[in-house]
Amino acid sequence: MSLIDPENTLPPARSPLSEAWEMFRGNTAAMLALIVLALIMLCAIFGPWVYPTDPFDMVWAPFSPPGVDGFLLGTDYLGRDLLAALIHGSRVSIVIGLAAASVSILIGVTVGALAGFYRGWVEELLMRITEFFQVLPTLLFSMVIVALFGASLPMITFAIGVVSWTAVARITRSEFLRIRELEYVMASRASGATNSKLMFRVILPNALPPIIVQAALMVGSAILFEAGLSFLGLTDPNVVSWGQVIGSNRQYILDASYTVTIPGLAIFVTVLCISLVGDGLNDALNPKLRSR
Amino acid sequence: MSSDILLNVEDLVVRFAVKRGRGFGKNAYLHAVDDVNFTVKRGETLAIVGESGSGKTTAALAVARLVNSYKGKVELNGTDLLTLGDEDLRQARAKVQFIFQDPYSSLNPRLRAGDIVREPMESLGSMTEVEKAERIDFLFEAVGLRPEQQRLFPHQFSGGQRQRIGIARALATQPDVIICDEPVSALDVAVQAQILNLLRKLQKDFGLTYLFISHDLGVVQHMCDSIAVMYMGKIVEYGPRLDIFNAPQHPYTRALLSAVPSVDKARRAQTKRILIPGDPPDPVNLPDGCRFANRCPAAQDICRRDEPELSNGVACHFPGAEL
Amino acid sequence: MALLSVKNLRVEIKTRAGVAPVIDDLSFDLEAGESLSFVGESGCGKSMTALALMGLLPEGVGSIAAGSITFDGEELTTASEARLREIRGNDISMIFQEPMTSLNPLFNIGEQIAEVLRAHQNLSRKAAWSQAIELLDAVRIPNAKARVNDYPFQMSGGQRQRVMIAIALACQPKILIADEPTTALDVTVQAQIFDLLQDMQRQTGSSIILITHDMGAVAEMAERMIVMYAGRKAELGPVEDVIAHPRHPYTAGLISCVPHILSTLTEEREELVEVPGIVPALQDFGKDTCLFASRCLQAQAQCLRARPPEIEFGPEHQSACWRAEEL
Repeated sequence: MSLIDPENTLPPARSPLSEAWEMFRGNTAAMLALIVLALIMLCAIFGPWVYPTDPFDMVWAPFSPPGVDGFLLGTDYLGRDLLAALIHGSRVSIVIGLAAASVSILIGVTVGALAGFYRGWVEELLMRITEFFQVLPTLLFSMVIVALFGASLPMITFAIGVVSWTAVARITRSEFLRIRELEYVMASRASGATNSKLMFRVILPNALPPIIVQAALMVGSAILFEAGLSFLGLTDPNVVSWGQVIGSNRQYILDASYTVTIPGLAIFVTVLCISLVGDGLNDALNPKLRSR
Repeated sequence: MSSDILLNVEDLVVRFAVKRGRGFGKNAYLHAVDDVNFTVKRGETLAIVGESGSGKTTAALAVARLVNSYKGKVELNGTDLLTLGDEDLRQARAKVQFIFQDPYSSLNPRLRAGDIVREPMESLGSMTEVEKAERIDFLFEAVGLRPEQQRLFPHQFSGGQRQRIGIARALATQPDVIICDEPVSALDVAVQAQILNLLRKLQKDFGLTYLFISHDLGVVQHMCDSIAVMYMGKIVEYGPRLDIFNAPQHPYTRALLSAVPSVDKARRAQTKRILIPGDPPDPVNLPDGCRFANRCPAAQDICRRDEPELSNGVACHFPGAEL
Repeated sequence: MALLSVKNLRVEIKTRAGVAPVIDDLSFDLEAGESLSFVGESGCGKSMTALALMGLLPEGVGSIAAGSITFDGEELTTASEARLREIRGNDISMIFQEPMTSLNPLFNIGEQIAEVLRAHQNLSRKAAWSQAIELLDAVRIPNAKARVNDYPFQMSGGQRQRVMIAIALACQPKILIADEPTTALDVTVQAQIFDLLQDMQRQTGSSIILITHDMGAVAEMAERMIVMYAGRKAELGPVEDVIAHPRHPYTAGLISCVPHILSTLTEEREELVEVPGIVPALQDFGKDTCLFASRCLQAQAQCLRARPPEIEFGPEHQSACWRAEEL
C-alpha cells in the first residue's frame, strides 16, 4: 500500500495575500480610486517643487476667479494663489491623515490585543477605558486638547489619534477573541510558543485584514477631522491645509464660492477614494467572498 | 513493569466556573473532567471514547496543559506536568504533542506548509537550520507528502493532506506522547482510512504512544490497545480493547456499542439495540448517585443514591446486568 | 408504476471554469413505502440529487439540463413554482443535517409545526396547535404538552432533529428525504432517530430517501442503495447484495475503508483498504471516462477511454464499471 499521496499536480505557491491582491485588481472602482490616490500622493510629494509659489504670498488681487488672470484656480480674499494652497495643503492633510491613523492604530491594536489575549481583569479594565473614550464627544475632546496644548501639527495629530482609536481596539479585540480559540493557535501554544510570539507572530497577522480596512477608512476620517478642526481655526496658522483654506474663506462663501468649494472638492475626492479603496480591501481580504 | 508506563494520570479534575442567573450568587462549577485516572504504556494507544459533553476532549487538553486542571497529577516519565513553572512547561511541551480535529482551522493560513512543521522546532530545541531543514524533509516523506509541497500554503491542500501536515508538525519535536483529538472525524470516509493507516504505520516505525480521543467506536476499535469510556466527566469503564468490545460491562458502554450501525449481518442479528432515552443530566447540577441512572435500563434505588466507584474496570453497581 | 421515477437526469451548475454536470445521467425508481439510500463521499452529488427532487436547486447556479422526474405520474421538471411549493409541503418533505440552524430561533417549536400544518392543510389555529402536540408526542418528545412552548435553544440536538422530523411528517408526505440526518448527532441519539424513522415509516407507509456517507447506516436503514461517484451512479442494488458482493470498486472501497465493529473482535487488525486520492474537481465531471479510474486499483487502459455502461446483474443490481463482471 503506497503511502505517497497520489495527487500529482503541484500548483505554484499562492499566499493569502497574493490572492487578495488578485481579487482587489478585479475591482474596477477600487483600482481607479487607488490610481487617483496615487496621483494625489505624487502631487503632495513633488507638487511644491513643481509649483513653488508660496501659498501665503499675496500674489494678485483678491477674489480673482479661476482661470482668469493666469491663476488656474483663482485667488482668495487676500489675493493668495488657491492652486498653491491646494498643492501645499495636500501635504498637511495627507500627513495628518496618515499620522493620526497610525497613532490610533497603534493605541487601538495594543489595547485590543492585550484585552483579547489576556482576557480576565486586563480585558475588563481596558474595555472600560475604551468605552470611556467612546462616549466622549470626539470633536469637543480634541478641541480641548488642541486648545490646551497648542495647535502644532504633532498635537493635532495626537488629538485626532487619541479620539479615534476605540473602533480599532474593539475590532482587534474581537478578532483576537475569535482567533485565539482556533486550533492553530493552540497548536503553536502546544509547541512551546511564548505569549508574545502567540500575540504578535501568530494571532496578529491573522487579525490584520479587518484592521487594515479600518485603517484605510480612518485615514479618510482623520483628514475630515483635521479639516473640521482647521475650519474652526484650531490649526497651526503657519501651515496651510485644505481645511484651513476653507476655514479662512468661509465668510465669503456666498460671494466667491469657489474659494470654499475647490478645497472642499479636494477633500471629498480624497476621502471618497480612500473609502473606495477600503471597500475594495474589505472585499479582497474577506475570505468568505473568495471562491476557492 | 511500571517502567513501561509513560503517562500516568491520577485524580484529574478540570472544572469551569459558570455564571448562573443574575446578580452575585455563588459561582457554580461545571466539572468537565471529574476524578479521572488512567495510564498509557510506552508504544501503546489508549483511546478515550464518549459522546459530546463527556469531557474526553477536555481531559486531553488538560493532559497537554492546554486547559488548566483544578487538581490531580499528570505524570509523563515520572515528571508531573501540572506543577511545572512557565519555562519548564514550555520545554516539556516538546514531549506532548497534539493532532487536532479540524484540518481547516489547525493550520496557520499565513504560513507555508514547511514553516508550519518548522514552528515547533523554532520554539523548542536547539537544532541548526540545516538540521531543521533535513528534519522537515524527513517528516514530509514520513507522512506521505512530497518535499516540493513545503512551499505551498494550507488552503492549497485537501483536507487529508492538511491533516498530514498536522501530523508532521506533531512529530517535529520527537514527542513521547501524541494526543490525537478526533483526528479523522472531519474527513471524508475514504480519506479517513488513509490517515488511520498512516497513524498506525508511524506508531510502528517510530514507537509512538498515542492518547486517542474519538466518538467513533469503529475507529477506536481499530486504533487502540485499551479504552476508557467517559460519560459526564467520569470514566465509566476502562480496560483492554478485546474486553471492552467483546464483553462490555457498563450499561452505557453496552448501549453505545449497540447503537453503532454495522455492515456485518451477523453482528446486526446478534446485538439487541439498547436504546437509552432521555438526556444526560444538567452538568452543573449533577444528581446524587450514578450520573447515568436516569437513562439506565438497569437502574435500581441504590444507583440514584450512591455514586459507584471504578473497580475492576467498571463504575457500576450492577455490571453486566440483564438489559 | 413507481411512486417516483427519475430518468436520465442531468443537473448542471455554473462554476468559474464553466458548466459542470453535478448529476450526470442519473436514473432510478422509488416505490411507495420503500427506503432507498444514496451513499458516497462529499461532493459526489448526493445532496444535489435531493435538492433536484425537491425543486430547490440554487437559483441561477444550478439547473436541470436534461431528463425527467416523474412523481405519481406528474412531471416535476416542468412544473410551475407554485405547484412545486404545494408538492414540497404535502407530498415530499426533507430533513437536513444541521438541526441547529434549520429551526427559527425566534419562534417556539409549537408555532413552527402549526404553521406548516396551517399552510398546507388549512387547519384552524387551535386544531393545528393540538396536532402539533400530537406530532411531538409521536416523535417521542417527553411531556409534549409542555415542551411545545419551548424555543429551539432550549432543546438538545437530538430533540431539535425530532422536531424537524415532526415538521417534515406534519402533512404525511409520501416521500421523506433525509439528508445526513444524524451526522451532527451522537451515536446513541442517532440510534434513536433511526428507530423513530423506521417506526414512522411502518405507520405511515411513506418512502424514505436516506442520504449518508455511512455504510453501516445504510445497512441498518435501507432496502436498496445507490452509490454515487462524481455525479454518476456507480452502483445500484439491494443493500444486502451490494454489501455482500459489491460490483464496483468504489463501493468495495467505501465498505472496506471503514473499520467496522464485527461480531467478535480478535487481536488481529488488518490494515484498512485505502481508496487513494480524493473526489475529482468539478471541472473534471462529465468527461467520457470512468471518473473513478484515477483512484482505482483495478483500472485498465479501457477505463480511461470511455465512460463505462451500466451492466446488469439480475433485474435489480447494476454497476457502471468496465470490470464489474470480474469483481
